[in-house]
Amino acid sequence: MIELKDVCYTYPHTVQEALHRLSLVLEPGRCIMVTGPSGAGKTTLCLAACGILCHEYGGKKSGLVTINGRDVSTYTGLSEIAKNIGIVFDDAEAQMIFTTVEEEILSALEYRGLAPEEIEKRLASIMEVTYLTELKDRSPHNLSGGQKQRAALAATLALGNEILILDEPTSELDEPATRRIVEILSNLKRQGKTLLIVEHKYAHFRDIVDTLVVMEHGAITAIGAPENVLHDERIKRIVIPDFSGLNLKVSLSAPASADITAAPLAIEVQNLSYSYDEVPALHDVSIGIGAGEFVAIVGENGSGKTTLVKQFNRLLTPTSGVVMIQGKNTRNCSITDLARDVGLVFQNPDHMFFADTVKDEIAFGLENLGIENKDVVIDAALDEVGLLHTKTLYPRWLSRGERQRLAIACVVAMQPAIIVLDEPTTGLDGDEARLVMEILKDLQVKGHTIIVITHNRDIARYCADRMITMEQGRVISDIRVKVE
Amino acid sequence: MSEILQYVHKDGFFHRLHPFSKILFIIVASVMCILTTSIPFLALMVIALLVIAYLSHLHREVIQQLKLVLIMSVVFIIITVLTMPNGATLGYLIPQGVPLIGGSIAITDGAIGIGLILALRFMVLIFAFQLFLISTQPRDLVHAMEKLHMPIDYILMFILALRFIPTLQIEGQRIHEAQLARGYNPGTGMIGKIKSVAPIVIPLVSNALLRSNVLGLTIDMRGYRTGIRTHVRERKFCAGDYGMMGGLAVTVSGFVVIAIFASGLIF
Repeated sequence: MIELKDVCYTYPHTVQEALHRLSLVLEPGRCIMVTGPSGAGKTTLCLAACGILCHEYGGKKSGLVTINGRDVSTYTGLSEIAKNIGIVFDDAEAQMIFTTVEEEILSALEYRGLAPEEIEKRLASIMEVTYLTELKDRSPHNLSGGQKQRAALAATLALGNEILILDEPTSELDEPATRRIVEILSNLKRQGKTLLIVEHKYAHFRDIVDTLVVMEHGAITAIGAPENVLHDERIKRIVIPDFSGLNLKVSLSAPASADITAAPLAIEVQNLSYSYDEVPALHDVSIGIGAGEFVAIVGENGSGKTTLVKQFNRLLTPTSGVVMIQGKNTRNCSITDLARDVGLVFQNPDHMFFADTVKDEIAFGLENLGIENKDVVIDAALDEVGLLHTKTLYPRWLSRGERQRLAIACVVAMQPAIIVLDEPTTGLDGDEARLVMEILKDLQVKGHTIIVITHNRDIARYCADRMITMEQGRVISDIRVKVE
Repeated sequence: MSEILQYVHKDGFFHRLHPFSKILFIIVASVMCILTTSIPFLALMVIALLVIAYLSHLHREVIQQLKLVLIMSVVFIIITVLTMPNGATLGYLIPQGVPLIGGSIAITDGAIGIGLILALRFMVLIFAFQLFLISTQPRDLVHAMEKLHMPIDYILMFILALRFIPTLQIEGQRIHEAQLARGYNPGTGMIGKIKSVAPIVIPLVSNALLRSNVLGLTIDMRGYRTGIRTHVRERKFCAGDYGMMGGLAVTVSGFVVIAIFASGLIF
């Protein structure tokens, strides 16, 4: 059991409280799901609940945290706390220490003081529970996002603790991978484990959640049984992303190919195949995307979505077939040339930020392309994404949602006709995801062609004109979404 | 993307050896290649290592490093030609026909000899360490180092340094792509090259620092630093280890005998 009583916490070198008078009780065998906007203090709550804040972080602390009835400050350190609690952080990759999945789990088991036979027995059982048996000899670096999360969870389960804390275990996962994680957690709950889960995907977890906690600005603003908490419309909008207001009525109709012939093609892909070394990733893909369309590309992890869009600005060059951008064959263009036509926003905005201010970050792309009137263009781009007030701030100080919008601004400022976004709502709460989609719809109205890779079919259904589904490197359906 | 210096899951001769045998193998190879100044002897060592890699089914991984090793070898030879002229002049780096500066940097046989020795030593060291690292699971390394009574924090530091290589490699590739998509063009000339490093290195280091924080907490929360450990699936000395020990004993003895009675062959 974990209990937090009136916990306040302020990170070193900051003035604003990350946690404000937070009280929460996690009872044995129960499952609490914590949700809320990014920057609300959810991860800080996880760190507080497992004693990391107390033992490893500086800053101003007050209040009381107890684990199994004992004040966390009386534990000798994390090694002792680790005998009671297991925690899985959101960055699964960073939790992979060894070189095979089996080695990762086995190494965690070796430190529990168990007999060798018991270790082997538990190893087999954990791999079975987390569906990793067939992946046991694979390198963690070469696993998919879902497989990495399962490996990180398995290594934590190896500790054999009754209390598990999971910080956004499914944030970057597609539907099947998310369902698999939920299934594993559901089984763990049935076995009597106590779960504290920070998540944005309430809909997937609703069957196992006993208590829903909504956090905003470091404080709990709603807590209770999910059905009671979700009565409040404002809270409901935070918990469950709702994109329906963007397009009113939608319906799915017959293949879109007949409609797109009307608009000039911004992107034309003919018989495109691509292989990484000798591993085929795209097979004979042919699509045409009309200028001004809003296209959602959906499909499971590894279905070839990112590989396809990387061909648009020649980060990858087709093994065979042709990709035409605004009538130009990409084989005859450099990446810099194509950056004028195609802007690509990657999944993790932190892969691009290096400048000292938001303004300089945007100016980087403009200088690369020799775009003039930088100040005017930067202001317009920041205004477009609602970040004009952050112009002089350090980009990495912004919240996750703001960083995502800044990444979009960096690309918008370069004035490409086509904007491609890889999972733009990953890790965002309902309101932020909706804001991002509204910005994209707005850009479409201004004449840009928008292509969004997403796991979220609601985005595809409510925001896009067209939904292309990929599976194993092939386009398996191409459907027009009609607003009636 | 192939991972640099990471364990490769195979079942070859080198994989089956006990880490101690492999550590001894590295020590012998390193000491011998540092002591000798004979180009034929060093070349023989390189060939021997490639044969061992082939017999251990690790030749593909070793050959992947060949490009880097050859580039470094050329760099070594150029540096020695520029800085250590010695012996007969074979030609000039800038041909004599070039006006004013023609014939100014002499290429000497002595400098090329030293450059070749350095390059071959580098090859021996790289190949030997690579064979060791790609055939040994970090768990086995931890076991072996614990047996040698190394402090657990130093062991973890070593393991994590190795573990971060592919992470930085993959992350660097992603950052490079993200910047290319923003029209990033690596600059020309020395100043351009230095300036163009910032958009890649700053996000790489910032992200790595964030990641190292999570990694550090994971190590603590999994109890790796408690030091109380049940050893399972520990590697036992096998026939291959005794064969390796015997081979190393014969090689070292042979090296000592040649050094005493026919030193011209290796020095």
